[in-house]
Amino acid sequence: MHAIQQQYWAVRDYLSPVLKESKFKEHGRITPEEFVAAGDFLAYKFAMWSWEKGDQSRLRDYLPADKQYLITRGVACLRRATSLAYTDEDEDRERLLSFGDLSSTGNEADEWVETHAGRPSHKDSEAVGVIDDIPDADDGEDHHGVSQAMGGLAISGSDDIPDIDDIPDMEEEDLEAGDDEATAAAPKAAPESGVIDASQIKVASGNLLQVRTYDVMITYDKYYQTPRIWLVGYDEKNRTPLTPAQIFQDVSADHAFKTVTIEPFPHSATLQAASVHPCKHASVMKKVIERMNQNVVEQEQKSSPSGKDKQKKWLFRKASGNGKEDKTAPPGEPADEGDGMRVDYYLVVFLKFIASIVPTIEVDATTSF
Amino acid sequence: MTIVQFAPFASLADPNFWHALTNLKIDVLRLDDHTVPLSASYTSGRSIVDRETGNEIALGCNITVGGEAFRDQPQLPANSVAAHGVFKNFNTIEEFKATDKTALFNQQADEIWESITKGSTDLLTRFLLITYADLKKYKYYFWFSFPAFVSKPAWETDGDWENASQSFSDATLTAVHSSLHQHPRSFFLVRTTNDTHEVASVEEYATFFKDVPPASRTIGFTDPSAAHSNPGWPLRNLLAFLRYHYPTDAADGFRVLCWRDADVSSDGHWKSRSGIVRVASGDEKVKPSAVGWEKNPQGKLGPRVADLAPMMDPRRLADQAV
Repeated sequence: MHAIQQQYWAVRDYLSPVLKESKFKEHGRITPEEFVAAGDFLAYKFAMWSWEKGDQSRLRDYLPADKQYLITRGVACLRRATSLAYTDEDEDRERLLSFGDLSSTGNEADEWVETHAGRPSHKDSEAVGVIDDIPDADDGEDHHGVSQAMGGLAISGSDDIPDIDDIPDMEEEDLEAGDDEATAAAPKAAPESGVIDASQIKVASGNLLQVRTYDVMITYDKYYQTPRIWLVGYDEKNRTPLTPAQIFQDVSADHAFKTVTIEPFPHSATLQAASVHPCKHASVMKKVIERMNQNVVEQEQKSSPSGKDKQKKWLFRKASGNGKEDKTAPPGEPADEGDGMRVDYYLVVFLKFIASIVPTIEVDATTSF
Repeated sequence: MTIVQFAPFASLADPNFWHALTNLKIDVLRLDDHTVPLSASYTSGRSIVDRETGNEIALGCNITVGGEAFRDQPQLPANSVAAHGVFKNFNTIEEFKATDKTALFNQQADEIWESITKGSTDLLTRFLLITYADLKKYKYYFWFSFPAFVSKPAWETDGDWENASQSFSDATLTAVHSSLHQHPRSFFLVRTTNDTHEVASVEEYATFFKDVPPASRTIGFTDPSAAHSNPGWPLRNLLAFLRYHYPTDAADGFRVLCWRDADVSSDGHWKSRSGIVRVASGDEKVKPSAVGWEKNPQGKLGPRVADLAPMMDPRRLADQAV
């Protein structure tokens, strides 16, 4: 059934026309050119993001061959989202993030609510690893603890450590003679230097952290005309790929099981990755952009009497497709000020939106911006 | 004086790598168990600050093998440097267990040593990966080793490793950053003369440092470790290289720059570490013993298992699809 659905999606994706004119302002959707422009900006501003070519047989011809999708590797995820049950009292802890600098106006109204700031986890990490009974398929109505139920979908007893029988019995201590004094021993839980080693964190009992890392990819979804986010996770202790059930532990309960699914990654022949379904991206992005833009324009009209000509246009940097201008014209510093949010910032804003879906994966390094 | 302790490499296999291995095994290798060249990559070490507790958390000293590991000219991830190794797949778990691992390991160590004596740094990060792939169950048994030479006597530091900004000016570090950003290097040399900052490859040591006083000679490397007082594994063979060729300099001490600033620091805070290391002279020309088998999650010397069934088995994927 799922396979048929995926075939259908593939065909639909193939048949849907490439968005030509910009609908960024009205619909929150962007064209491939704008995706490239926004991606260039992201990669320029944040060295952790870079363009990838992907599998040559899966090239999308509406994107430059060397700019098929964006990737950042090794994004840290310190806690499980399932341990962050959100309650009313937490509303007080919401924190306004200012990214006024983004629009080069320093406008205080350009703020964003960060809901999970500074909140202690409600459950300890031990509970996260506990596998409940496998839920009945009919339990779909029960939205509470959906992500917990996803945890239950894990193959029974699938802890991070494989079954003992499976590890070939071949510990070979005699392979290396004695302890080597110059090999750093596994760091203790609380080293004097104040830096905690990620692999040791779960060992410390009562510590709420269990570090995972994620490779995060952003592709352009031709059908929905928005960016789409993909996640591949690793356990920092075993350094093996996370199972789907484990990945769902890092998705906020409102979204797990509904908008996040495991699908074939479009730029690889074989890779399966968790993805946030993009069907609502455009409308969310539209609202966010509208609000940001409104604030910016209001601010401008207040500050300058000749605010009339400010609305003239949204500066769309025309991406030539070969990316030649990237180095010559750093998109970071807008030459023309006062035009509201430019499409270059689209992905920066998009990441803030994604951060609300996967609150504990630090995809949004832009707060330091 | 404290003994320098190196943070061992921790291998990280991308799911794409297991797919590539599966294809290689089915389409190319079949029952062939000869060694195959393999490439991996690593970046400078990363740490992040936990927003809730304020602790700085060091991520692992990772070396990654990805989907392009078996290609001749793999595309490297941004800001990373390549490490080349050999890969050997066994057809049965019994062969995997019974094989003479010491011999395989020593073969690699010998090649590294030979390249050191020839004056090349290309093979300093050479590694070995042995696997057994249970393709029907999507289970992969694997064991990495990263041979590194054990220096006798051991390398020591004066005092502790300190933040690089204490011994280098912002201008120097910025120059190193822009040089490495354009051309990532595993190992490099830095000199500062009359406010010009230059970066060169380690092979040019003799000419590059000809007119530079020993105190201003800096040895740098892309450091995959993020631990404050443990430089990463690649430094170990680099020091073996330097000790072999420049034993008197090694006794005087090298200033080492552990490069950890791949991402631009916006607040002027550098993460790189630096320290002076030295070693008493000894038998520099004799091949030292080597260590480097990776430990499993239990901290023992043993292979690891990657169970990819949840991500690769079509039936499993169909089950969780909604």
